[in-house]
Amino acid sequence: MDKEKKSTILIVDDMEINRVILAEGFKDNYNIIEAENGKEAIELINSRNDISAVLLDLMMPVMNGIEVLKEMEKSGASDHIPVFIITAADSESLLMDAYNLGAVDVVSKPFMMNFLRCRIDNVIELYRHRTDLESVLEEKIAKLNLINTSMIEALANIIEFRDGESGEHVKRISSLTKKMLTALSRMYPEYRLPKEEIEKISAASTLHDVGKIAIPDSILNKPGRLTPEEFDIMKTHTVKGCDVLSNVTNLIDEDIYNYSYDIARHHHERWDGRGYPDGLAGDEISLWAQAVSMADVYDALISPRCYKAPFTHEVAVKMIYNGECGSFNPKMLEAFNEAIGKQEPNK
Amino acid sequence: MDLINELEALGIDTQDALKRFSGNSSLYQRMVGKFPASAADLEVASFIENGDLATAVSNAHTLKGVTGNLSITPLYTAYTEIVNLLRANEPEKALKILKDTIPVQEAIIACIEKNK
Repeated sequence: MDKEKKSTILIVDDMEINRVILAEGFKDNYNIIEAENGKEAIELINSRNDISAVLLDLMMPVMNGIEVLKEMEKSGASDHIPVFIITAADSESLLMDAYNLGAVDVVSKPFMMNFLRCRIDNVIELYRHRTDLESVLEEKIAKLNLINTSMIEALANIIEFRDGESGEHVKRISSLTKKMLTALSRMYPEYRLPKEEIEKISAASTLHDVGKIAIPDSILNKPGRLTPEEFDIMKTHTVKGCDVLSNVTNLIDEDIYNYSYDIARHHHERWDGRGYPDGLAGDEISLWAQAVSMADVYDALISPRCYKAPFTHEVAVKMIYNGECGSFNPKMLEAFNEAIGKQEPNK
Repeated sequence: MDLINELEALGIDTQDALKRFSGNSSLYQRMVGKFPASAADLEVASFIENGDLATAVSNAHTLKGVTGNLSITPLYTAYTEIVNLLRANEPEKALKILKDTIPVQEAIIACIEKNK
């Protein structure tokens, strides 16, 4: 007794005689469902998740087989459901169309039932095997991504312990960066970034201050203004961040690594070229570094630091607009304005 | 049993058809029983005569599939040729074969109806 759940075959043909023959041939090993035309077939394919193969006639009223294949290709159904064309030997070009639209095989009427059974069993088995492999692969990728994220979080946490800032700082930077870039993409097509890239940048932004690991405690946690010499040392956290990151190249996703490297080095550059370490100006500074530097400035203003009390949101925004924290890309300022408009009020 | 023998005498390869029906003889006979209605629905000659070749091809094509699956070999051979000729834009030649085929088709249909 086969206790496994039977898989389902969808038979699509406008002639009952043809459907009955196929149903009879497959009913012992499969659940059979039938459709009289392409429209009915598509409705079944879209509403069920148990179909493991479609036996499809080409010439049918209402909606023909080629249109069914097109629909299945569009919806992605043909990626996981093999389609067999069962037809009375049609013109060569029609059969080529069917293959090009993703049909796995073409069977001519009249067909030999025993051979047809073997062919279809084999392909269904092959697809099932492939689906199993894909789900194993997906699990592995999910695990890898988790390790990747944990690695980035671990690195970001280490810096927080060093400089005594709240763990919320990097989370706020990451979230504000994402909101700013999303707003920027919407408002300025020339600055548009794909959603997945914004996600990666948001993850990479948590590492912007990783170079602070290499700054002495006496400077990093000094309660009061830094001397010019101390400030010069403090500035090196940008370049040192890159040194730290280049030692963990293989531990982080390549794209995230590239973003975090650029952000670590350039999140103190300014639009007018008066930032550090490289004095880049305007669009020489990557969008992601621009976004993180702005988010960093804002967050520093509204947070208490060992050398200052927190400013209110309103005062912070005013200071940024007045250029008290250096100059920023006017379009980035607009995006910032959009993004903080949607921020929760600061707790 | 009578129907099978009589069909055999009219050139229908019933053994071949039974294999396609997974050996289920009563199901085969039931489906053969539906052929007369299909043939009536899928008229070809008048569409050729009226110049509606698209419908003529479509109907001939469907009949070709059905007669093939039922192993009604004489009709299957004829409809295969008719489809090819219509696609090659030779309606007169197709019509001639069709006219020759109609008596054969009528004899088969009469045999099926008689045994119902």
